[in-house]
Amino acid sequence: MEPNVKAVQPQFRSGISGPKPGGMGFVFDDIHGLIPGPPETDGTSFTALLELPPPQAVELLVMEDFPAKSMPPPIFPSNIALSDRASMFSIFASADNPPDSTNIISASSSMKIDSVKQEPLESEHHRNSSSPAVSNQSLKSIKRKEREKKVKESSKKSKKLEANEASDGSGEQLPYVHVRARRGQATDSHSLAERARREKINARMKLLQDLVPGCNKISGTAMVLDEIINHVQALQRQVEFLSMRLAAVNPRIDFNLDALLAAESESSIDNSYLGMFPPSIWLEGQLNGSRQQQSWLIDGVHPSRVDDTSNFITPDNSLLSYDSPPNSVSLHSSQLKMEL
Amino acid sequence: MAESPSVANPDANSTVSRKRRKIDPDSPTRILAETGPTRWRTQAEQQIYSSKLMGALRHIRRPDSGGHAAVRDAADRVLAISARGKTRWSRAILTNRLSLRLAHINRKHKKAAKPSAGKSRPRKPAVLQKKLPPVQSKVKVLSRLVPGCRKVSLPNLLEETTDYIAALEMQVKAMTFITGLLNAGQNFTSS
Repeated sequence: MEPNVKAVQPQFRSGISGPKPGGMGFVFDDIHGLIPGPPETDGTSFTALLELPPPQAVELLVMEDFPAKSMPPPIFPSNIALSDRASMFSIFASADNPPDSTNIISASSSMKIDSVKQEPLESEHHRNSSSPAVSNQSLKSIKRKEREKKVKESSKKSKKLEANEASDGSGEQLPYVHVRARRGQATDSHSLAERARREKINARMKLLQDLVPGCNKISGTAMVLDEIINHVQALQRQVEFLSMRLAAVNPRIDFNLDALLAAESESSIDNSYLGMFPPSIWLEGQLNGSRQQQSWLIDGVHPSRVDDTSNFITPDNSLLSYDSPPNSVSLHSSQLKMEL
Repeated sequence: MAESPSVANPDANSTVSRKRRKIDPDSPTRILAETGPTRWRTQAEQQIYSSKLMGALRHIRRPDSGGHAAVRDAADRVLAISARGKTRWSRAILTNRLSLRLAHINRKHKKAAKPSAGKSRPRKPAVLQKKLPPVQSKVKVLSRLVPGCRKVSLPNLLEETTDYIAALEMQVKAMTFITGLLNAGQNFTSS
């Protein structure tokens, strides 16, 4: 069994560091068959552990009171790094020793898959010390738990962010912003708040980038802001020009009723908005040409006009299709009178 | 050119609306359709705006001069009304621009001959130009462009800008359409 294990060992290492973190769930089954005992003297308890399914093995490890439990933290620098990371997470803030090991295991289980690279380092130190399978087995369980929990964690983080954004959009009143710190980032409250703020800003910038054409390729906040400013200015200028054209069109509407009626009766008229509009244009001409006090006339005339114009309306390409009953039209204009 | 912004990002619009729906699945879709900048893209919104704008155009006083300013004002006000008071820029338009613009027009009438030199606000003397963060200066420019958003924080400003851009695009589309209609009708009936 020993030579078998030794031969299998390099394969196992490459097997671990090779595949991508995403699809590691199935790999562990292979590893489970491949797991080499590290060449120590204390192989009996380790192989006994190997035969168990992994969660129970972890439980055993956690529950048992290993005499060498206090040893891993000082001896293995990677474990020290593990404990550092455990302290980084704001959730795992306990300082006791017995919970510390479980915290280390669970904290490292929520880490990303980069700890796989520590595995060679880990096994080197294994050979140096006499402490058996604790850290190795814990690392394997860590890797498995990483794969299980990595997806959950990222989804949790995104869910929290989305929840934050939803409530941001609704009321802009969040009592606390719950953002989980990612690996390798500082966790004091200032940087957390800054990071939350930056993420909010970046999310909104992305929305803006979607809205403004041609901003998707540009990277960098300043350039995107430039584009946004240009776009807003261009749109405002367009509105200005269009209002000039509208103002030019408006006072010149001064038609004869005969001409309009003659135009309406022509059969060559396309029965779309073109046909619909001359009556209302005539109404506008009436108003703009005459006094303002006759605006009530429009409201009175309009319902009857709407019945006429509804014949010309094709529902798909008419902008001003009055699907609602004609009363609402007069309601609109009277509303406007109130509001203006 | 009015069509190009709307055509350029149809998929962006759908992804944005999809993202909003994912956040809030159980609220009724009607409320969802009313919040966020995607509400400006619906045909119903454009119809509402156009009908209100037509009504507003009828109420414009016979323009003696500066007619396009009045039209522009009316268009902006109607746009702000269509926003239903949910955004800062719409409220700012409704409360400020009316009085400001009228005063401006009055002043233009009175002081037609005299060039108004002292009218603009005295700028800060350019002794201490602390414009080193270019992002900050651009943010200031943007906040000046969006009405009513001068002292607004950056994330809120970005949100207001999103809504404002969507609303402006809708306004341009609607006004183009109306102008085209009126021109067509005018040409048709005058010929």
